[in-house]
Amino acid sequence: MNSSLKIFIGLEIHIHLKTESKMFCPCSAHYGDEPNTNICPICLGYPGTLPLLNERAIEHGYLVARALGCRLSNRISFARKNYFYPDMPKNYQISQHNHPVGIGGTIEVDFNDLGAKRIRIHNVHLEEDAGKMIHANDATLLDYNRAGYPLLEIVTEPDLSRGEEAELFLRDFQRLVRYLKVSDGNMEEGSMKCDANISINLPGRGLGTKVELKNMNSPRFVRLALGYEIERQSKLFNSGGEIVQETRLWNENRDITLPMRRKETPDDYRYFPEPDMPSFVSNAAFLKRIENQLVELPLAKKRRLQSEYDLKVEQAEFIHNDIAMVTLFEDTVKSGASARNVAAWLSSDVRKLLNRDKRTLADTPLNASRFSSLLTLVDQGRISGKIAKNVLKDIFSEDADPESIVEKKGWFQISDPNELGKIVDQVVSQNPDVIEIISGGDSKQKSWLMGEIMRVSNGKAAPELAKKILDERIG
Amino acid sequence: MEQDEWAVTAELAALKLSEGEKKRLVKQAEQMRKLYLSMSSAVVDNLEPTTHASVVKNRVRKDEVKPFKDVDTLLDASNELDDRFFLIPNVL
Amino acid sequence: MPPVKQLWFSALNKPHVRDKYVQRVREIDKKIGSFLSFKLEEQDWTALGRKPLGGVPVAVKDNIAVRGRKLTCGSRILENFVAPYTATAIRRLENAGALVVGKTNMDEFGMGSSNEHSALGRTSNPWDLQRVPGGSSGGSAAAVAAGLVPLAVGSDTGGSVRQPANFCGIYGFKPTYGSISRYGLTAYASSLEVIGLFAVDIRLLETAFETMHAEDEFDQSSFSTNISGSEVKKIAMLDIDPGMLETPVAEAYTQAAQILRERGYVVEKVNLVTLKFVIPSYYTIANAEASANLARFDGIRYGSGSGYSQNPINLIKEARSRGFGDEVKLRILLGTYVLRSGFKDQYYIKAQRVRTLIRKELGVLLRNYPLLLMPVFPTQAFLRADSEMDNYKQRLSDIFTCLANLAGLPALSVPIGINRGLPTGVQFVAPAFGEKSLFDIARGFSEVFPVQFPPGALEIERMR
Repeated sequence: MNSSLKIFIGLEIHIHLKTESKMFCPCSAHYGDEPNTNICPICLGYPGTLPLLNERAIEHGYLVARALGCRLSNRISFARKNYFYPDMPKNYQISQHNHPVGIGGTIEVDFNDLGAKRIRIHNVHLEEDAGKMIHANDATLLDYNRAGYPLLEIVTEPDLSRGEEAELFLRDFQRLVRYLKVSDGNMEEGSMKCDANISINLPGRGLGTKVELKNMNSPRFVRLALGYEIERQSKLFNSGGEIVQETRLWNENRDITLPMRRKETPDDYRYFPEPDMPSFVSNAAFLKRIENQLVELPLAKKRRLQSEYDLKVEQAEFIHNDIAMVTLFEDTVKSGASARNVAAWLSSDVRKLLNRDKRTLADTPLNASRFSSLLTLVDQGRISGKIAKNVLKDIFSEDADPESIVEKKGWFQISDPNELGKIVDQVVSQNPDVIEIISGGDSKQKSWLMGEIMRVSNGKAAPELAKKILDERIG
Repeated sequence: MEQDEWAVTAELAALKLSEGEKKRLVKQAEQMRKLYLSMSSAVVDNLEPTTHASVVKNRVRKDEVKPFKDVDTLLDASNELDDRFFLIPNVL
Repeated sequence: MPPVKQLWFSALNKPHVRDKYVQRVREIDKKIGSFLSFKLEEQDWTALGRKPLGGVPVAVKDNIAVRGRKLTCGSRILENFVAPYTATAIRRLENAGALVVGKTNMDEFGMGSSNEHSALGRTSNPWDLQRVPGGSSGGSAAAVAAGLVPLAVGSDTGGSVRQPANFCGIYGFKPTYGSISRYGLTAYASSLEVIGLFAVDIRLLETAFETMHAEDEFDQSSFSTNISGSEVKKIAMLDIDPGMLETPVAEAYTQAAQILRERGYVVEKVNLVTLKFVIPSYYTIANAEASANLARFDGIRYGSGSGYSQNPINLIKEARSRGFGDEVKLRILLGTYVLRSGFKDQYYIKAQRVRTLIRKELGVLLRNYPLLLMPVFPTQAFLRADSEMDNYKQRLSDIFTCLANLAGLPALSVPIGINRGLPTGVQFVAPAFGEKSLFDIARGFSEVFPVQFPPGALEIERMR
């Protein structure tokens, strides 16, 4: 790769908005139903039907545009994008052209070792999804359940310059839409899609010939496809070859990009204003509602976790990755737990359990009140740290409160001096040889005896008290 | 030249025209196109285009699901079905 | 309650009259060809008696959805298509007791002024079977004119209600854009069109309009408002080059002005300098919208398909090429063309700006005059396949009607008697929501020129 070349990467990201119903009709926008069950005359493009704009979709659109620092449009309107394809019932897509929800934003993204960078947003606009085509041998099956799902498209300026940046941008954007609760943002499941534009040129010469990349089903594939393309185009550029303006598809089996089959007639979408819906004007009350839904964004959150709670970078990185984790963290800390302690638990034990079960926090029975009572039990010396790990596992598996788990399993610490004294005496009397060594001056063996006490007590011996009694017994 | 533009237009409109249709329709289309060009004498550069006949208040629908009751008639209306799928020849 | 309603209800309330009525309709319509389908369904006649339109049979243009009935739009591509839902406007009529008895013939997808562009049948003018009923809602107009129904529903994109009403000698009403829901009306040019009405009687027309007028959750461009009408003293009369009108039409036009003056109105001649841009602007916009509105007809989900094709794009092209007639193809081509990149500014955007100009001029005019008197069409009903009236000339002749569509204004065409054996008439245009002024002025005219029926028309009052 020629390092003196300048690389311009822009992304076009589509997210499915989390609404109950479709963008322009009251059919369910639920995933995974039987084929062609969530359909009606409107989303099948029947004669005489008209689009019925979904209020929540507009709100979601404005919210994302606001979070990306866009200029919010006072008036939004829709346009028809015309092209024929069997998955699109009207053979035009209702999209936004001249008056999208937001224009011209910027968002700061932390590229870790590469530093933070501000990425400009070209525009944010609403549109509808098409149906799904399933290719069999000599036939194609059409399922229109997805036709008319609300989509939000975010178009960035070509401000990214490496595949790694694109991947990190996407991961940050996924967090953003999840923080805002507007989308699942899941590329693998199709609730988020990303196409990329890439061009290379000599510095100072502006953009080069644009190549569009499609069919990348995860942020990782976006990085790999861009990496491949940078290599390919740089080689071509340096050897004086011609870079063709085209669309290329990422082939995830071969780890390469391949040109898409070209059409005989070039596209001409013939945009014109959708006459079936009046413009939507955002008044003060509407904008206030949007403002109220705005939350602290992921990067700000990460930075605050570090500065306000003094967390380590990796801890803050891990916690801010999941908005449910952030909420659990902050709520638990609010109830009096030590922030570093909470962070340590989350980024080790809780994380391990989540990985083991392949679950996300939101799907588990762990909540702030359970978490904070677990930590209180430890702080009050009523259970040991080791027992606490087992209690956590039981919370996950049994969906029960820590107190009742500890109660049921008889896991409270033995802190009665008499009861504990008997255990210490038992251990001392069973290990005369060790006592002898200790008397000989090797006090290190005391910890071995402590281990025995813990073992005999099934881990329930209150460590401080046990140590005190042991010291008394062996002088 | 004229024929070419109308051929591209027909392609965009997903219309396949027979030779006879091409002759008939292109002639009429050109006649209308020339009529359209008579608008060039209208001085309207400072005017906003009218896209709707009336400007009215915001109209939106609450985000609520109301399933269509007669989904199966929508399937029955199709020319070819495979189970619950609409069926068409393979997209290459 | 309108007497016409009473007349029809009391006749059809009797089972034996109903049978006779159906038989007579079939007989007459063999010659006229107004209906594509006709069926009088069983009803609870006791309940109907109490409803404002109870027992009034209504014919509906076949581009408006009535659940369980065919919705052909006069096209091959929808020849066997059955609507799975009912248009809001029709549902409201039915709730008021009106009976949809049939679907009427029309120019394919509303594209035409003669009904000659229907792929599914021929409709004749009840006044002269050699002549066209007008279009595109020609079937609805002919059905009313032949006395088969007192009320019919059509759609008016550029005059498709007013012109056939004029040709057939009945009232033809185009309401303010958006005042009747378009849900269920197969779209031709969405920003221009509205569901309209044909009637033999102004009071019946008014009742039907009040019934249909409402904001609809299924049409976000619909709205409800108080239908008003200011007191009319001054009426503007479009000053027209006499050469533009056929003699009987010019005579009716002059006569209308004279009657108005006799009745104490001040009638002043006015000019519209933008009139010459009306046709190019209208057709540019209408066809552009049509090119997208008709894209959905591809034979995949519904409608006539093409059988087998080696790929879906060919499948779509085959279905469309077989399913559409010449006029529809032409308008789709033109509409596609004016939206193409490179041409869009010069044609489509220009037309939209011109539309603004036309609206402005008309707006100023209607601030000074609460009504505008205009001809409906330059000729009376013309002969079928008239070489004097080719398709191009027909399109040019929409000049007086499509003005109201460009501006979204209400307009009513009113019969002015029979001249040389054929109906004549004029139209009035009012400011938005000024429907009441239209009905009032037409009521006045009805005293002088009540609707007349051609020989052989169905006379419900004789069926007892």
